[in-house]
Amino acid sequence: MPRLVLKFESSVLKEVPLGTRPVTIGRAPDNDIPIDNLAVSNYHARVYVEAGSLVVEDLNSLNGLFLNDIRVERAMLKDGDSILIGKHHIWVDLTHDAALPMDIWRKAPAPRVNETMVLDTQERRKMLEEAAAAGERSQLSPDRLRCPTLTVVRGRTDQKEYRIAGKLTVIGHSKMATVRLRGWFTPDVAAQINKHEDGFYLGRGDRVPKLNGVPINGLTKLVDGDLIEVGRVRLNFMFHE
Amino acid sequence: MRSLLRIQTGARTDLGRVRKNNEDSYQIEPELRLFVLSDGMGGEAHGEVASNLAVQTIVTHCQQAENSRATPIFGDSQPDVSERTNRLASAIHLANRKVFEMAAANPEQKGMGATIVAAWMEGQKLSIAHVGDSRAYLLRAGTLDQLTADHSLVAEKVRIGILTPQEADASEMQSVLTRAVGTSATVQVDATELILLVGDTLLLCSDGLTRMVTDPEIASTLLTSTSAQEAADRLIELANEYGGLDNASVIVMRVTQKSDGVLDRLKVWKRNSG
Repeated sequence: MPRLVLKFESSVLKEVPLGTRPVTIGRAPDNDIPIDNLAVSNYHARVYVEAGSLVVEDLNSLNGLFLNDIRVERAMLKDGDSILIGKHHIWVDLTHDAALPMDIWRKAPAPRVNETMVLDTQERRKMLEEAAAAGERSQLSPDRLRCPTLTVVRGRTDQKEYRIAGKLTVIGHSKMATVRLRGWFTPDVAAQINKHEDGFYLGRGDRVPKLNGVPINGLTKLVDGDLIEVGRVRLNFMFHE
Repeated sequence: MRSLLRIQTGARTDLGRVRKNNEDSYQIEPELRLFVLSDGMGGEAHGEVASNLAVQTIVTHCQQAENSRATPIFGDSQPDVSERTNRLASAIHLANRKVFEMAAANPEQKGMGATIVAAWMEGQKLSIAHVGDSRAYLLRAGTLDQLTADHSLVAEKVRIGILTPQEADASEMQSVLTRAVGTSATVQVDATELILLVGDTLLLCSDGLTRMVTDPEIASTLLTSTSAQEAADRLIELANEYGGLDNASVIVMRVTQKSDGVLDRLKVWKRNSG
C-alpha cells in the first residue's frame, strides 16, 4: 500500500496509507495528517489522485509548501519525493509493501469472488453490533442527527437564513433553488449541497464556489462553521441541535 | 419539461473470465432519460431472472408514471427528495415485491435477488436510487465521486469506522450484502438527487467492475475516452484484463451540451470572462 510518512527531523510521527480519497494536511485536528505547529495553516495542503497521478496541492496556505525544496502550488508526486510543510517533512513512499511502481493504483489481489449472499435484517443488525462492540468507534456521526442552516453573511438573497431539509439544496437563480440569488448574470445553479449518508457535501454548479476561501473541485464535506462563497454571496454553514 | 441538457450514452455488459452465466441486466430508456442496472444473485439461472425482472419492472413503472400521474406509489415517500426521486424509489419497491413474489411461488428460486442502481433525469435534475453494491459515480471537473453508499457488510463496517477501506478491499466478506431487491417482503431504498452540469459524466456499474478496477483508473478511463461507448468498452476491458472474476456491467452517460437561450449565452460569456 503506497503511503505518506510524516517526519519531524529524524523521527517518524505518522504513516497514512494512500487510498482513493484525498489526504488533507494541516493544523486543524480533523486533517488526515494533523501537524500541530503555528507555521502550518488549518487546512494547508492535500494529496489526491487525479487522472491516475498523485498530486499535491497548496490550499492557499500562509507559508506555502515545498516539494524537494522548491516552492510549489500544485505538483505531481513520484516515489521518494519529500514535501516540506513548516518544519515537517512528508515523505512519499509509493513502493511500500513492494508494490510494483507501475501497479500502484491496482487493487490488491482480490480474494475469491464468492457467490453473493444477503444477510437478513436481524442477522445484519447482530453482525454490525458485534462488530461495533469489538471496535472502538461505534457511534454514527452526530452530524446526521442535527439540522444544518445556511446564514447569509453577505450579499443579496431572498432570505437571511435557510434550513437545509432536503437531500439537494440548490444555490442559484433558478426557481427550484433553495437559496435564491439575484442578479442578471447569476447562473440558475451556481452551487449545490448534497446530503449524503455521512454528512453534507458542497459541489459546484455553473460557478466554482469557495469553501473557507479555497475554490472547491469535487464534492467537499461541510463542517460546522464553514464559510461558503458563491459569487458575491457569503453563507455560513452551521449545525443546530 | 423537455430537458435542456444533451446526453450521450454508452453501455456494456460482460460475462467476465470466470463465470458461466451473466447475471447482470441493464436498460437505457433514452426517451424517458432513465438508466437502470442490476446485478442478480441466486445460483443456476435465477440471478438473471431476478435482475431482468427487476430492471423491467422499474422501467415499466416509470413509463406508466410518466403517462399517468394516477400510477400508485409503492413504499414510503421520503419528504427530503422530490416527487420524481420518490417515483424512482417506488419503482424499486415494486421490483422488490415482484422478485420476492416470484421467488416465493417457485421453490427452486428461493433466495434469488438483485442489486439495483437507477438514475432518472428531469431537466437538469438527476434522481438516483439504489439497493445493494452496484454503484453510481459522478466525474465532474476531473474529480470522481461515488454517489451511492454500498449496502454491503464491509462497506457498513467502514462507515462505522471499524474497518479501513484497505481492509475492506482485501476482505473475504465482500460478497455479503446487507440489502438486496427480492430477498425479503420489503426493502429500504436509498434515494438522492443532484443537479447535472455540462461536462459531467455519470457511471452506473456492477461490482464486477469496482472489485477489479480502482477509482483512479475509472476516473482516468472516463477522462481519456472520446465517447461514452468507448469509455464503457474500455472499463469492461480493464475489468477483464485484471482477472474478470465476476460479470461486469457499466452504463456511461455524458452531459455534452445545453441548448442555450440568449441569457444563458450571456451567463456563459460572463463566466468565461471571469
